[in-house]
Amino acid sequence: MPPAPAAAARTGRSGPAPRTASEVSFTPYGLILPSFLLAAFIIAYPLVQLGNLSVHDVTRFGFVRGFVGWANVAHVLADPLFQSSLWRTLIWTAGVVGGTVALSVPVALILNGDFIGRGAARALIMLPWSVSLTMTAIVWRWALNGESGLLNLTLQELGIIRQPIVWLASAATAFPMEIAIGILVSIPFTVTIFLGGLSSIPHDIYEAASVDGASHTQQFRTLTLPLMRPYINIAIVLNIIYVFNSFPIIWVLTQGGPANSTDILVTYLYKLAFVFGRMGDAAAMSLVMFAILLAFTLVYLRLILRSGGDEAA
Amino acid sequence: MKRRSLLCWLVLAPLIVVNLFPFAVMLATAVKPASEVVSAAPSWLPSRFAWGNFIAMWHAANFGTALMNSVYVSVASAAVAILISIPAAYATSRYRFRLKGIYRDFLLITQMLSPIVLVLGLFRLAAWLGLLNSLNALVIIYAAFQIAFAVWMMQSYFSSIPIDLEEAAWLEGASRVRAVWSIFLPMSVPAIAVTAIFTFINAWNEFAVALTLLRSENQYTLPIQIFSLVAGRYTVQWEQVMAATFLATVPVAIVFGWLQRYLVRGLALGAVK
Repeated sequence: MPPAPAAAARTGRSGPAPRTASEVSFTPYGLILPSFLLAAFIIAYPLVQLGNLSVHDVTRFGFVRGFVGWANVAHVLADPLFQSSLWRTLIWTAGVVGGTVALSVPVALILNGDFIGRGAARALIMLPWSVSLTMTAIVWRWALNGESGLLNLTLQELGIIRQPIVWLASAATAFPMEIAIGILVSIPFTVTIFLGGLSSIPHDIYEAASVDGASHTQQFRTLTLPLMRPYINIAIVLNIIYVFNSFPIIWVLTQGGPANSTDILVTYLYKLAFVFGRMGDAAAMSLVMFAILLAFTLVYLRLILRSGGDEAA
Repeated sequence: MKRRSLLCWLVLAPLIVVNLFPFAVMLATAVKPASEVVSAAPSWLPSRFAWGNFIAMWHAANFGTALMNSVYVSVASAAVAILISIPAAYATSRYRFRLKGIYRDFLLITQMLSPIVLVLGLFRLAAWLGLLNSLNALVIIYAAFQIAFAVWMMQSYFSSIPIDLEEAAWLEGASRVRAVWSIFLPMSVPAIAVTAIFTFINAWNEFAVALTLLRSENQYTLPIQIFSLVAGRYTVQWEQVMAATFLATVPVAIVFGWLQRYLVRGLALGAVK
């Protein structure tokens, strides 16, 4: 990506910019220091706390008692509710991210082209991003109401369903609905990344391809998709991180219920810590979750690097 | 062109309809008389417009207090995040330095360690700082977690501001600080403003940390206040809840809709580079 290095290189060549060697070497560090310190402190302190709690017996009021070593971690890993939440988190993340990327590619391709009212269409597609997940989930909780909900009314009027469905009463309907809402709210961010990628593809390569007689499908497969790779990759990584950590949709709609049947890791973690008061287990679980995310990201970045899309790293 | 436009709109229509559906639900419910809201035979249109729901909600939901709390937290955390991210973004866009790659990885890791995974530790952090049930705890925490986003956004804009003008100022003997202050910053005001507004919106919408740290109703931010009208209650006054969500979301949605095009360039380039 040219601008930053180019600018820096020119700084060195012309102008009195790097007046002394020390200015060159220390100034940027001074500039990034405040941001680094604040972010590091706000993250390091909780991490150290979690590390400490995770190896101790902790009362529900947070008093640290005896050292228990790996017992909390073992306890969490053996917990059937943790295991089912982990499995459900995989479905949740794969479902939401897969659905989001699959829908966002065509939407971004359309929005990247020229058509009447494109600005308005973009704003309408981006709309869910502006609303907090909490509010979206509260509105859907009401819209999905079995008796008076406006979704059942609409679907019945359209003839799609005959009887009202009590959506949130069982996981079989609640969980897919939560995934669908997760997809809806993730599309704007993903489309945004893709639009940025599409706008960076120069137009003339398509003209050259057309001259050579490439069809639209061929152009998409041989030009657009490969050039979009780094953007698709970064969208997948960021989406997986965000969706894995997404709390409000499930918490507001079902609080992981009925009977923990829609719990994912983050909602179960919240229950462990602040409902059941199992602080030591919750701390251990936080670290397990972080380990999962870190392992995933490292593996994924490694795969991207190996496949040659090194810009996305 | 006309046929093509129609086709584009037709393909996008299902998604747009689903996006607008929650707003329709909010509005339709917010203006219904309470007696028609929970009913075995619901309808989209009310028998009369019950605008009084908004007034009743304002008092019942303590909306004014929650609104002020949300404004305070969002403005303060956006200000802190922007002030410390401007120099960082300037450094990553204008300098080449050895630990730049590591700094960028660090920013990505701060995004992975989302507040929700750390929530128990953040709770203890707030307790340690004596800021439990305090809005200032949210200000610090939100600011810290916004840094990555703010740096990514501003860096990509800063890189697009040509360095030539600054160089000209140096040649005329201006110091680097002075060149930044009188030439670079004025040109980057739009980028900074847009980034500030998005960090404001992110703080405005946050849920999990506020839910954990805020304990008394007079400290609640809007999402927590409105959630408390729904959670753990046997009877929910949905017309008031929808009036509240409507008031809390529509102004932000309008500002966002107006500014979203700036996100495309900023986020995509900043995050990928």
